[in-house]
Amino acid sequence: MKLAVVGKGGSGKTTTSSVIARTLARSGRAVVALDCDSNPNLGISLGVGDEETERLVSMRQALDEGEEEHANNWDTLISRYGSDGPDGVRLAVVSRIDNPEPG
Amino acid sequence: MRLAFVGKGGAGKSAIAGTFARTIARQGDKVLAIDSDPLPGLAFSLGLAIDHSPPIPDDAVIERKEGEEGPRWRLNPDVDPFEAVDKWSVEAPDGVRFLQFGKIMGDPRDLWRSQMAFRFIINKLPAGRWNVVGDLPGGTRQAFTGWGTWANTILIVVEPTAKSLLSGRRLARMADLDPENPKKVMVVASKVREEGDVEMIAKGTGLEVIAAVPWDEELAEAERRQLAPIDFAPDCPAVLAVESLVERLSEEKVS
Repeated sequence: MKLAVVGKGGSGKTTTSSVIARTLARSGRAVVALDCDSNPNLGISLGVGDEETERLVSMRQALDEGEEEHANNWDTLISRYGSDGPDGVRLAVVSRIDNPEPG
Repeated sequence: MRLAFVGKGGAGKSAIAGTFARTIARQGDKVLAIDSDPLPGLAFSLGLAIDHSPPIPDDAVIERKEGEEGPRWRLNPDVDPFEAVDKWSVEAPDGVRFLQFGKIMGDPRDLWRSQMAFRFIINKLPAGRWNVVGDLPGGTRQAFTGWGTWANTILIVVEPTAKSLLSGRRLARMADLDPENPKKVMVVASKVREEGDVEMIAKGTGLEVIAAVPWDEELAEAERRQLAPIDFAPDCPAVLAVESLVERLSEEKVS
């Protein structure tokens, strides 16, 4: 299954995605949850907490700043930019926060 | 006053911005309400039933000619920002003028010249004649990529949820994005329901909370019916809170 949740801001995309991911994981499936939001916060709804969410975001950010190597395959991507959440859901932050324009 | 509302999606930016713009207009000030969200929102909260305004035409921006210096795109020198606002904005109730960069009807790529023109016009609009009230799309993308540079004051709309607080903390960086024109950044607490919500928002964002807009069923009903809160429920607690926000900002002489 490959499933994307979309919609207007504030309509409940993140909450819905996280419940789907956790529910699938509880039924025994291997689940990867990808946060593709330019303001990533799926980690909070999944239950990994805001500190870990921000850590993943800064990992992703470091990639753009050239401080981190690109992952050249799926497994590396999931292990390097991911974190284990409750029920065994693996969360990865895929999109970055847009870098503020320099002065 | 040049003021932009930002915040996480669904925090209540449009409803608050629309009510805010109408309130200023009722005091007799000229207000330009601007919406840079490609999905409809602010028009409804201002009381424009259907937004029929045509997008800004593509030839409002011109491309750099080969061999020329400077940025690739700029505002067509024939376009005067004041005239552009008169020509391409539409009238909303209480005399508010409303300008948007176009709504997605087909291929979003068809809009980008119009969006660029919108941005140039607002950035070049000289201070003085207009109070500008802006509604940015939810999240950090536009906020961090130059869509709020025209503003002097940023109001981050934050509701008492962990995700909204996280967005608020990130958006606080808007204060220093443009070191030559630092911005005043404050928080408007939204959907406040419980004692302690405002304190949680102040602590969680580390910013001054200048107003608290309560959770309000009548405001929610206005949104459901696609009506401006100030028309549907002029005396509801949320609208009154926005009116006191306007008062507070003018007392503090916010620019």
